[in-house]
Amino acid sequence: MKIDTVLHSDYTVVSIAGEIDMYSSPALRDMLLTLVKKNTATVIVNLKEVRYIDSSGIATFVEALKKMLAYKGKLKMAQVPDRLMEIFNFSKLDKVFEIYGSIEDAANS
Amino acid sequence: MKSNVKNGAAASKKNIDKVTVSASYLRNIEKKVEDLESIIEVSYIISSTLDYGKLISLVMEKAKHIMQAEACSILQYDKESDKLVSEFAITGQRVTSNVLPKDRVTFDMGQGIAGWVAEHLESVVIKDVYLDERFYHKANPLNNFKTKSMIAVPLVGRRGLLGVAMVMNSKDRNYFSDYDAGIFQTFCVQISAAIENSRFYTESVKMEKFREGLEIASVLQKSFLPETPAFRKGNLHVSATNIPADKVGGDIYDFTEPVNGSIGVLVGDVSGKGISAALYMAKIISDFRYKSKMIERPEVVFNRLNEGLSNSPMGMFLTASYFIVDVQTGQFAVSSAGHPPFLWITNAGVRIMDIPSGPPLGILQYEYISSGFTLKSGDRLLILTDGVFDVINANGERLGFKHLVAYIKEHREKETLVQAIVDYVHDFSDGAEMPDDITLVELKWQ
Repeated sequence: MKIDTVLHSDYTVVSIAGEIDMYSSPALRDMLLTLVKKNTATVIVNLKEVRYIDSSGIATFVEALKKMLAYKGKLKMAQVPDRLMEIFNFSKLDKVFEIYGSIEDAANS
Repeated sequence: MKSNVKNGAAASKKNIDKVTVSASYLRNIEKKVEDLESIIEVSYIISSTLDYGKLISLVMEKAKHIMQAEACSILQYDKESDKLVSEFAITGQRVTSNVLPKDRVTFDMGQGIAGWVAEHLESVVIKDVYLDERFYHKANPLNNFKTKSMIAVPLVGRRGLLGVAMVMNSKDRNYFSDYDAGIFQTFCVQISAAIENSRFYTESVKMEKFREGLEIASVLQKSFLPETPAFRKGNLHVSATNIPADKVGGDIYDFTEPVNGSIGVLVGDVSGKGISAALYMAKIISDFRYKSKMIERPEVVFNRLNEGLSNSPMGMFLTASYFIVDVQTGQFAVSSAGHPPFLWITNAGVRIMDIPSGPPLGILQYEYISSGFTLKSGDRLLILTDGVFDVINANGERLGFKHLVAYIKEHREKETLVQAIVDYVHDFSDGAEMPDDITLVELKWQ
């Protein structure tokens, strides 16, 4: 798994590539919690290059989201591949996360 | 002539072989042989000592003896803090002092002679430490011991720096010689190997304990599942198949009898794996059994359960479906919290029941709802966890929900459908590690 973070003036984009599973999610957690500690207002997670996510990976996003909601921050998902969308749909995570087709849409919403 | 030449050559060879050496040279050679023999003997003893504490005490004692030194100290390199830590020291009068944490002396890399040796990975022989600017007076791991001369050698293993070994003050001379340094360096190669072996052993023991812990967690986790995986009540037959993953997974299922004449069936999947998932599952099962008592509506149970799980650590959550079936009429109500659709198998075909569902439990405040249906004779419901279709084969391909449903449609008439699905999933994975638990619960209406 690779994580790439780009800071913009109004939001931060976290682009992830590879598989998010119980082995790789601790690194993702560290990254997200660093942003949470800084009270980052909007985090857009670009999932375009993610091949697979397991429940540990989803829990990592849930934890970040819960912590962000406490200071009214927003965690948005963008460019979710079909394979992941199936998991998100089954798990009804569209009720949990805001999901957008592109980073621009996520940024402008 | 020829024979003379031959004799001459033989005579000159004989002259070359004959070497005269001084008595002191011979004594030196003898000492070197003795020293190397001692090192070999000691190496044998230390390489068979796996307990780290014992090993270091033994090493220091032997180093002091071989080097005829007044004291010896071993500093351990702590990778995390990038510092050298003095844990053990031995002097002439006192035997081993296993220095307490509060008394531990630490050196930064480059600080003091030990720090310099660790940073440069070079040995040093110092005749008088007080004339050496690297000497760090403030940090002396040996209380009340005055260091005069020393040899310090880096201990290096296959995975890099392990620490620094030092001998202080020669007993019979004013300082150590380069010869002494050579012998100590040879000894330190053995010390490094022994320390590495001992650490490897300690790590394996820890790993073994961790594995045992996981196994116990797995056994405990399964002990929370119902004792009998199959039963019949009225016209309803219920049977469950649960195959745990190689690591401790988080699938759960449970049967309840909320009120007389009805049966509750819960199928869920806790996020994550390992001991944390096992503990979380244990909490969920006990919460569920308590909160589902006397409650006839599945959505009410989910609302109560969700409230109790709202402070889950590390974002942990539960996807679940809860069915409450009237065993006389076949009417049932079902609530889903982010759980995969269940399958309704009838004589006409297989329906994917993607009912209105809430998010997984333990994430958000939410008002769950339920959907109501009625079973007819011969109908079967198949409730599964994502482990069934998330299975991967040796090429890294996932089975996927669509392929699984296609298989079920094709074999829906089989009496032993659940077993056929399990076999199909196993054949697909073809010996690849199972990433998740597999749970299938079948409700059959006669």
